[in-house]
Amino acid sequence: MYKKENLILKAEHVHIQYDEKVILRDVNFDIHNITKPDIAQGQVISLIGRSGIGKTQLFRILAGLLKPTSGAVKIDVDQHLVQPGEVGIVPQNYVLFNHRTVMENLKIGFRNCVDNNSEKQKEEIIHEYSINFDLKDHLKKFPMQLSGGQRQRVSIIQQVLTGNKFILLDEPFSGLDILMVDKVVKLLLKVSTLNEMNTLIIVSHDVENSIAISDTIFILAREEGKEGATITEKIDLMEMDLAWDLDIRKKPRFQELVDNIKHKI
Amino acid sequence: MVHSNTLLKDIKKIFEPLHFVSKNVAFILIAFQSFLVLLFWQIGGDVLIPTPLKVLDGLGKIVSSYNFYDNFFSSLLLTLEGMGISIIIALIISYLSLIPFFNPIARFIIKCRYLTLTGLIFLFTLLTQNGHQLKISLLIFGIVPFFVTSLLSIIDSIHREEYDLCKTLRMNNWQTLLEVVVIGRLDQVFEVMRQNFAIAWMMITMVEGLNMSEGGLGTMLIKSNKYIDLSTVFGVLVIIFIVGIVFDFLLGQLRYWLFPYTKLNMRK
Repeated sequence: MYKKENLILKAEHVHIQYDEKVILRDVNFDIHNITKPDIAQGQVISLIGRSGIGKTQLFRILAGLLKPTSGAVKIDVDQHLVQPGEVGIVPQNYVLFNHRTVMENLKIGFRNCVDNNSEKQKEEIIHEYSINFDLKDHLKKFPMQLSGGQRQRVSIIQQVLTGNKFILLDEPFSGLDILMVDKVVKLLLKVSTLNEMNTLIIVSHDVENSIAISDTIFILAREEGKEGATITEKIDLMEMDLAWDLDIRKKPRFQELVDNIKHKI
Repeated sequence: MVHSNTLLKDIKKIFEPLHFVSKNVAFILIAFQSFLVLLFWQIGGDVLIPTPLKVLDGLGKIVSSYNFYDNFFSSLLLTLEGMGISIIIALIISYLSLIPFFNPIARFIIKCRYLTLTGLIFLFTLLTQNGHQLKISLLIFGIVPFFVTSLLSIIDSIHREEYDLCKTLRMNNWQTLLEVVVIGRLDQVFEVMRQNFAIAWMMITMVEGLNMSEGGLGTMLIKSNKYIDLSTVFGVLVIIFIVGIVFDFLLGQLRYWLFPYTKLNMRK
């Protein structure tokens, strides 16, 4: 049982072009708050598209870091224009401050946060996250001493600590082996259920893993005879009874859907 | 037989590109090559330059001379003073270059690398009040453009994603400048400082030649050159060389101590 409630993010006629070259054309999609009884159920949305189609441009527009040529991205219940700092980002190469330890990197997440936690409270919260996300023994290390998966977890927690409910992830499964992918899927599902309003937006070309984790899929592709990529299809995995299921890969419909989407991108 | 094969393989490796050798092997290589240079130098005789033994003899006389330490510290303090002021000026110019209004000034200063100091000595003599000021001014003018060039290259190489991260962490532009450019690049600034110390130390003998009232190693060099006292000339050069290497080493160690993460990214 789930309910779709308020509109929390809307991309409206987003268009970007450089000189005459159109990258994104009339991109429209919206995300609603999903509620489930007795559980804090956030949203996991995937924007799936081929490499080089304009995913990174859309990623930056959604984060408020790039102004589109026309159109807008509006967020929250009051539907105001997205501003930098309102949507967290976890880039593909997990950018962190290399001159700071993991603990200091995480504390920076708190720096401009609205909550007025004391230093001690901040450290307690960080310790709690570090236990939950298997980083307890790495808090004193520098980012360069961490593995890719550990960096990714630090990067995600850093964004969670800012208090941002929207977190964009650029190719979170890139370069991971199958065991690590499973761990990342579980990690992201964990983050999505930390808060009712948490909304993870995954931008990826990895069809299989994106479906396995999402409740809604948007396909970013080029339409025949038209320049620039746009959203060509929305797939509601909740309606198809394929959302929030850790054993989704075992279902025959899952493989059908993967093949179907692969033909569309 | 097996032992000699292993030895041959090890010797072959030191001629392979991108092959990392242990500290011990590196030390042996340096010692061996230094020994060869000194040997050939000694065998070659003192046709053009005095032999290492004569230089060593000259070095002993310099170190025991009554005014050596005055000259040595005069040069060292002048270099440190010049470096200190240059670093402050160069850092201010470099950080200000991120503010559009000041960027053209920074870009102009890096082009000043192509200006020769010799042509500007007259102007600096008029602008300064004494020999010390003249030397410091020339030193600063000589170092700052190189320092700013290196610093701007560091700033230019910062990836956009780092600035994006700061924005998503809700830092304003000043906080971003402080976190990414100032604090985040302090280790690299220190490395630039180390490299520029070498330039300053090299320039010191030249500027000291312009005003000899305060003494200094440069003054010692010029005087010895004048009387064709080559063993003293080479003795002073050896001192300058050793001091440069010692400072290079100390600044390198200080960098690792202050910024331990810099060691993590090194090729091993």
